Formats: sequence, structure tokens, C-alpha cells
Amino acid sequence: MSRIGVFICHCGENIAGTVDVVKAAQAAAQFPGVVQGAEYKYMCSDPGQSLIKEAIREKKLTGVVVAACSPRMHEPTFRRACAEAGLNPFLCEMANIREHCSWVHEKSEATTRKATELIRIMVEKVKRNKPLYPIKVPVTKTALVLGGGIAGIQAALDVANAGHQVILVEKDPSIGGHMLQLSETFPTLDCSQCILTPRMVEVAQHPNITLYSYSELESVEGFIGNFKVKIRKKARGVDEKLCTGCGICSQKCPKKKIPSEFDAGLGKRTAIYVPCPQAIPNKPVIDRANCTYYLKGKCKACEKFCPRQAIRFDQKDELVEAEVGAIVAATGFDILQTRDFPEYGYGQSQDIINGLQFERLASASGPTLGAIKRPSDGKEPETVVFIACAGSRDQAKGIPYCSKICCMYTAKHAMLYKHKVHHGKAYVFYMDIRAGGKMYEEFVRRAIEEDGVIYVRGRVSRIYEEDGKLVVKGADTLLGAQPVEIRADLVVLATAMVANPDAEALAQKLRVSYDPYHFLSEAHPKLRPVETNTGGIFLAGACQAPKDIPEAVAQASGAAAKVSALFSSSELSREPVIAVVNRTAPPIFSTCTACFLCEKVCPYQAIEREEIKDRKGNVLKVAAKVNQGLCQGCGTCVALCRVKAIDLQGFSNEQVYAEMMAV
Amino acid sequence: MAEFQPKIVAFVCNWCTYAGADLAGTSRIKYASNVRIIRLPCTGRIDFMLLLKALDQGADGVIVSGCHPNDCHYTAGNFHARRRWIVFRSLLDFLGLDTRRVHFAWVSAAEGAKWAQLVNSVTEEVQRLGPYHDYQKLAGAGVE
Amino acid sequence: MEELRKKARELLERGAVKVVIGYGPGSAARTRAVFVRKPEDADQLILNDQCTQNLSVYLTKPEVKTLGKPAIVAHLAGLRSLVQLAAENQIADGQVLAIGVSPEGKLAELPDLKAVEAYLAGFRFELSPEEKAELDKIERMTAQERWKFWQEQLARCLKCYACRAACPLCYCERCLAGNNQPQWIPVASHQTGNLEWHLIRAMHLAGRCIGCGNCERACPVGIPLSLVTHKLGEEVFKNFGGRPGLSSQQEYALGSWKLEDKENFIG
Repeated sequence: MSRIGVFICHCGENIAGTVDVVKAAQAAAQFPGVVQGAEYKYMCSDPGQSLIKEAIREKKLTGVVVAACSPRMHEPTFRRACAEAGLNPFLCEMANIREHCSWVHEKSEATTRKATELIRIMVEKVKRNKPLYPIKVPVTKTALVLGGGIAGIQAALDVANAGHQVILVEKDPSIGGHMLQLSETFPTLDCSQCILTPRMVEVAQHPNITLYSYSELESVEGFIGNFKVKIRKKARGVDEKLCTGCGICSQKCPKKKIPSEFDAGLGKRTAIYVPCPQAIPNKPVIDRANCTYYLKGKCKACEKFCPRQAIRFDQKDELVEAEVGAIVAATGFDILQTRDFPEYGYGQSQDIINGLQFERLASASGPTLGAIKRPSDGKEPETVVFIACAGSRDQAKGIPYCSKICCMYTAKHAMLYKHKVHHGKAYVFYMDIRAGGKMYEEFVRRAIEEDGVIYVRGRVSRIYEEDGKLVVKGADTLLGAQPVEIRADLVVLATAMVANPDAEALAQKLRVSYDPYHFLSEAHPKLRPVETNTGGIFLAGACQAPKDIPEAVAQASGAAAKVSALFSSSELSREPVIAVVNRTAPPIFSTCTACFLCEKVCPYQAIEREEIKDRKGNVLKVAAKVNQGLCQGCGTCVALCRVKAIDLQGFSNEQVYAEMMAV
Repeated sequence: MAEFQPKIVAFVCNWCTYAGADLAGTSRIKYASNVRIIRLPCTGRIDFMLLLKALDQGADGVIVSGCHPNDCHYTAGNFHARRRWIVFRSLLDFLGLDTRRVHFAWVSAAEGAKWAQLVNSVTEEVQRLGPYHDYQKLAGAGVE
Repeated sequence: MEELRKKARELLERGAVKVVIGYGPGSAARTRAVFVRKPEDADQLILNDQCTQNLSVYLTKPEVKTLGKPAIVAHLAGLRSLVQLAAENQIADGQVLAIGVSPEGKLAELPDLKAVEAYLAGFRFELSPEEKAELDKIERMTAQERWKFWQEQLARCLKCYACRAACPLCYCERCLAGNNQPQWIPVASHQTGNLEWHLIRAMHLAGRCIGCGNCERACPVGIPLSLVTHKLGEEVFKNFGGRPGLSSQQEYALGSWKLEDKENFIG
């Protein structure tokens, strides 16, 4: 017989303000099968939970319904309380009378009636709940880190230093990401490569880290603690074991004018190339789209001159399989290009560049060896205009958000320009100055007060070329929207930070949520910033949202901590909300008709075929069986099964039918 | 004369629409109180028989809602649900049931406002259509 | 007919099959199924244009399975049922020998699935103009008219489940209609239960039903079930492409999905 306890929370005034909780409790106490209807100010508090525990013990409850906030909030809290009192936690359900009732309706009789009905629905469900026990699965203590930028590097090092194996996958020929392209970093102006390369070397040499560069994630199967991943090692065209990184191949390569991705299009590279001098691994890659051998079948200069005969033109992509227990997505970001700005000429002028391109100009190892020069004629610019918020905070461009780093790096760029061209004039067109980090505001002040950068508060409506100069037309709002026209030699757009073009595809491969801008979604915007809603997959860096280097590093360490926590035991307890195929006595064995339509439908391939045999080994019947480790509890198979031989624990046919009938 | 208050049953998925309804709650967006939500892990779990049972039990309108295509927490549950609904709806229509009373939607966890709007518009339409007497007349006589 | 009897005799004599399932004379010039186990009984088999039932329904009956490997006389519908049953793991390849009968009455021995599928590939499966017109008539009614039409038709339903017994694809040993925890389908011959029974059976058949018409023929009160089965076939074909029962590798329409699946009613 059912002995259900109903506990209604006032939640202060949140529920009691619109729902008559006393009346609801009285009504609930009258429901068939309910032996206690109580209400209390804060059920989730210690005394509130004690109320439940006492009732379980004294009234010998067989089920508990807590009518309060959303189960997505406190279901674990109350289930734990029940478990502590000796009642199986899955015999506890929550009726959502706050988010779905008191908070969305006015105080009225109808609202109280709705709350009472919601409680009755859950009472009817709970009467059919069955005790469930957690399922234990093993955990593979290897982490997969996707992305070898600063966030990926930090996460990989932290997990490796905690004593676990790490596989780091980077799609570019070298790790380092965008940070490797920077010249100096704010707010300290230290050299980006100088602080990054030691970390890169540490990754390359760490005994616990296996680095797959020029590789991409091909596929992911499995679930938390038990992922099976395939990694595509793209063909470099070079035998990495023989290559010493001497660089003769690039010197001899006749194709020398290919725009360099590392130099953001401002510099040139060869068809066989190492992206930059500090590349790790320091092994070249052949750009098959531009190599004469692949295009016309001729040349092979690199092969001729390689002292170690390490060139392999027929090298093929290799698929590597690995088993990992956790995945950290640290795939970074992209920025808008100048061609995305019709108002600034679609990027047709070579002297309108974006932030990354300016970094390459300013970088000592860049195409101009650190001198600020106009890309069009190589002359030193006398007047440079920096435009902040180019694309960001712009609803018309579909980017309403702030890219966070541009105010700081624009100030930095202006300062670097002034340090290199003392007599030059630097203007910054800005909307606001966002300098919230440690020493950030002081940094911007320095640019204005010490380096004489001129800040104009206003936007730039047009830029056009005239007599070799760029006419920048903007406004100065602090002077009452006075029009401002500057004839500049170089314009730097602080373009918006956006997600990588393949971020959506990656998110779908990993089965993690993403927002409309294709940034990967965190599990909770405030309290769970490094986890995703998919168990075992964590986030680090700008792939989650625009952020600067200190934040990326902090988040990466946070993700690594979560991974280490996951790896802290060799077994993981799984929620038993999984599907089960019925089994019964011979000669039926199971009502399953073995049509196996469920097998094809399962997104996790969790359904297997079981041969039910007699003692001699003769197969009496074949029926479907659910793999407890793989099933995620979606219930698609349950809705599909014509005969209802398969059912979902926690949301069984009986339970949902009872809820339905109670409406 | 008291205005007819329809009974609306909503079958929603836990990860998107239920969370979206929660968001409507945290944002204190007010909407009609006629809806009763039944939580399921995924739209893939929603058996079409449940919709029939809802009408059976006196529901005047039914809402079925889950994650947008490609965003299913279990990757494909909503794709299967979509196919099921396409066939089910055409069958309902063929047999003469009032498909204006059965609404399908994709409401994500971020779309609290959309949830409220959906409930309001469905409640309003069903209010206009009146109680689903045709179906409810069939039921009764002690048979569930 | 003679050719069929000869073939049956020959198959039984050389032990290729243990039983030949075919048509035999029934009462009042009707035909019924016969299960010929001895070569000398092959003369019981007849084949004329009264032989319209889909005999594949017997392939999944446990009593028939105990007889051993069968040969089955099958028109196009029967062959399609065979393929669909194979797609659903109810028949293993080579476990059934099909004697295909073309619309003109020509016989073809089809020993395995590949042969059956190849044979079926030579035909087109669309609704006849008359069948289309029947459907059109219903679809042109208003929703209210359709409701009235179907309520009148379904009022006669006795819940005898003859439609289920006659359907080759209703092979579940424990049909959902028998469940009482929970009772999804009210069993009494009552308007709600009648509607729900037929609706649910239709949904279970969507993407699987090949339109053999056994159900309509079996119904003792003459409910026009072929309207429903044809509608199902057309809806599935229109929305998802493909027809069931033509390939054992064919994906079940409601068990698969495409990103591009289109609808105009999901908000």
C-alpha cells in the first residue's frame, strides 16, 4: 500500500505569496495513498530536510513528493535527504510549483488549484516509482584535449601533472594558437612568444602528454569515463621521425609567394613550410593545394635536397583510435576579417587591417621584423587610426555581444605604435573603455597620459581612399557629435571575436550545446563555467566565450581540476535512469518480438541482441537487451516499441500513464 | 457567464522546454495558468498514445515541445519525434480529429519568453474553439 | 493452376520444403489457406482470381512454424510482406521459399530474399486511380465531415481483432491491446476504444504496412480499413520517400530520420 508524504515549500514568499500552501497541503493530505501533507517555509534548509527524514522514519513513508522549486534545482538535495533517512532516493519526486506556477501566475484560486493538481500528478507518479540503484562504470584515466592554444596547453599540463595521461590534438601544424601570433601582451607588455614557448616545450617533452599536431578529431563515441575517439592525423608529407627541422626544404621550395596564415595574410610562405620559427613541433608540412608536385607532378625540390630523405609525397592521413575518459574542448576563436565591413570598403584597401594583422606587423619575427609599415607601399605610417568595437556590440551585424579584449589590445596597439614611431599620431575611436582586469585600467591610462594616444569617443561611419590616404569619417560625441575627419596612413580595426567556422560541427560531434553565436555552452552561466551539459566534456578558453589570456588560463586549470576529480576513482556511479527490456518466465522469456527496430533507433548504440539458451545451449529465443553502461535514458526506444517490451526506469510507462490520468 | 477555461496538457522534454519553462519562471514572465506540464527526458520518449490519453482524460488542447533539431541532449530523440508527429498528425487529420488542438513546438532552454507566448497563444486558440466535446463525448460510461 | 500443383508436388517430394502454404477451396466459392504437407495432397491447391488473401500472415504463427520450412504462394503483396518480415528479423534468409505469382498469373520460384527483392524490383507500387479517388473523397471533406464519417464507420467495430489476426505484420505474441498495466487501449466495443484501437494500430503499421487489404477483407462489419492503410502508405512515401517491403535493408520510416525532414506545423 502506498504511504506517500507530501511536503510543500513556501520558499519564503516565492511560492506562498501566490499559492495558498496551507490549503494545498490540506488537499494533498486527502489524496488517496497520501498519509502526510505538510508545508514549511524552506524545505531545502536543514530543518526542512529533517522534516522529511522524520516523516520517513515515523510514518514509514513509501514515497515522497516535495512541491517546491524546479527539480532541475533541488532534486539531488531531496533525493539525498531521503537516502539518508533510509528511503531509496528514486522514490522521491518534485512537483514544480514555483518556476511553473507561483512565479508565472497571479495570486488566485486558479493558481492554488493548479499547484494542487501538479502535486497530485506527482503523487500518482510516485506511487508507481520503483527503487533504483546506481550503475557503476569504469573510468579510463586519459584525457583528450582538443586545441593546442594557451587554454589547451594549460589544461593538458595540469592534467598531466596530476599524474594522468593526456592526448593533445591540434589542427594546425604547430601548437600555440593565436597567442603565438601576438607581439606583446597586456597589461605587462611582455613578449607573447617568450612566455608561451616554454609552456609549448613543456607540452612537447612531458612524459604524460601525447601530442598530435596537424590532426583533427574525426569522431567520438561512448560516454563519460568511456569515450572512444578517432583522431585524423593529416598527412604532412614528411616523415616526422627522420626530419630534423633543418629548414633546407623551405629554402629550396620555388613557390615562395603563398600568403602565410600565421602572418594573417601579411607575409608570404613557401609550399613546404613551418608556420613560424618557434613552431612546436618544428617539422614542416606540405600545403598540397599549392605545391607544384601535387598540382602538376613536377618539382620535388624538397625531396632532392632533404639531407635525411624525409619527404613522403604519398603519405596518407592516418586514423588513430584512442580510449579516453574525459574531453576538454579548447578550440579557441576566430576574428572577423576586414572584408566583412562594407562601410570600410570590404577590406579592399591593403592599409585597413585587423588586430591580428597589426600584431604580426608589431612582432619582431613578423613580415616587417617589428617595424610598423603600411602593407601597400611599405612606408612608415605617420597617422594611424584604431577603431574599437568593429563589429562587436552591433545588432546589425548579428553580433550584439562585447568581444571583451579589444579595448585592451587597441590601447596596446596604439602604445606599441607610439613606441616604435615616436612622432606618429595615434587616434582611437571608441564607444566605451572596458578595462576591468588587474592593472588594466592603469594600462589604458598609460596609453593616454604617457604615450599621447588620442581617444575620440564616437564611431566611424566611413573610410575611403583618396590620394594615397585613408579618409576616416567619424564623430566626436563628447563634443556634441561633432563630425571628425582624419586622413590616416593606416587603419586598424579591432574586429569582433567570433567562434571558429567549424565550431558548430565540433559541437555536434561532441554532442554539446552551443549558443546562437556558436560559442560552446557551459552547464550553468555562473556556477558551472567549465562544464558542459554533456557528462565528461569540459570547456576551456575562448571557444566558450570571448576572453583574455589570464581568464583562458584560469578556465583551463578549472577544467583540468574537473577532469582530475573525475579521474580520482576508477569507477563512476551512473544514474540508473536507463531503459530495460522485460524478462519473464519461460516459455515467453520476454514480450520482445525481436524486431530490433529499437537497436537501429538508439543514438548510443546501447541495444544488443541476447540469445536466451537452454542448458544444452540451444537458442530458445532472441530478445533485445540494453547495455547499462551506454544507455543515456532518452526513451526513444520506449516510444517506438509497439509491444512495450522495453521500458524506461524513472519514466516508465506506468508512471507516465499515471501522471497523465491524474491531470 | 464565466469564461471557459480549457485544460491544456503539455508534454515537454527535460533538457530544453522544461528548462525554458523554468526560465520563464525565473524571469517572472506571466502566462495563462491552464497548462499542466508532464516532464519526460526527451521528446523521443513521448508516445503518441499519451496525446490520445490526454484528450481522453478531458484535455481540450495538447502541447508537445522539445529541443530544436540538432540540439537534442540525446542527439536524435527529437528527430524521431518529428517523424512520428508528421505521420500522427496527418492520421489524426484524416480521421477527423481537430488538429488545431494539438500543438507542436521547439522551445529551447533559453526561450522562456517563447514558452510563455506558446502557452498563451494555445490557451487563447483552444478557448476560442471551446471544449473538445466531440472527443470527450466518446469517453465516459465508466471506461477510461 | 496445374503448374502450381506440379511445383508443389516436386518441392515436397525432394524435401526442399516441409509444407506448401497456398490457396484451397473454401465455403461458398470463397478460398482459404491450405497447408499441404504430403505430395499427394498437392491437388488441394487452387489458383484463380478469387485467391486474393495475403497468406504471408501464416509465416509468423507459432503453429505454422512447427511444421518446418514452408513454401508459400505469394502475390506481390505477399512477397512484400515476406521482405518486410525479413527486415524485422521475423524470417531468416532462405528460411522461406516463395512461389511468386505475377498479376498475370505467371509463377516464379524465389528461393531467397535476394531473388524476391529482384523480382519485386520489376514492378511499380502506386495506388490505382480508383484507390486514389477513394482517398481524395475523404480528404476533400471538412474535418467535421471526416469525424462524422469515421465515427459512423467505427461505431460498428466489435473489437473482434480480426484485422489484427489477419495482418501479416501484427505478429506480436503479446499485443499491446492486452496490456492492462497500464491499459492503453480500452477493450470494450466503445467509441473511444474503437477509435484509439484503429488509430494506434495504424501508427504501429505506418512505414510497415504494404496495403495487402487482409484487414479490410477480414473485418466482419465492413469497416473501410483500406482507406487508412492506403493513406498511411501515401503519407510515408510523400514525406520520407521509399515504400516498405521492397528491400530487407530498407530503413523503417519511423525509426530513422533525415536532417531535411520537412513539416509546416512545428512552431
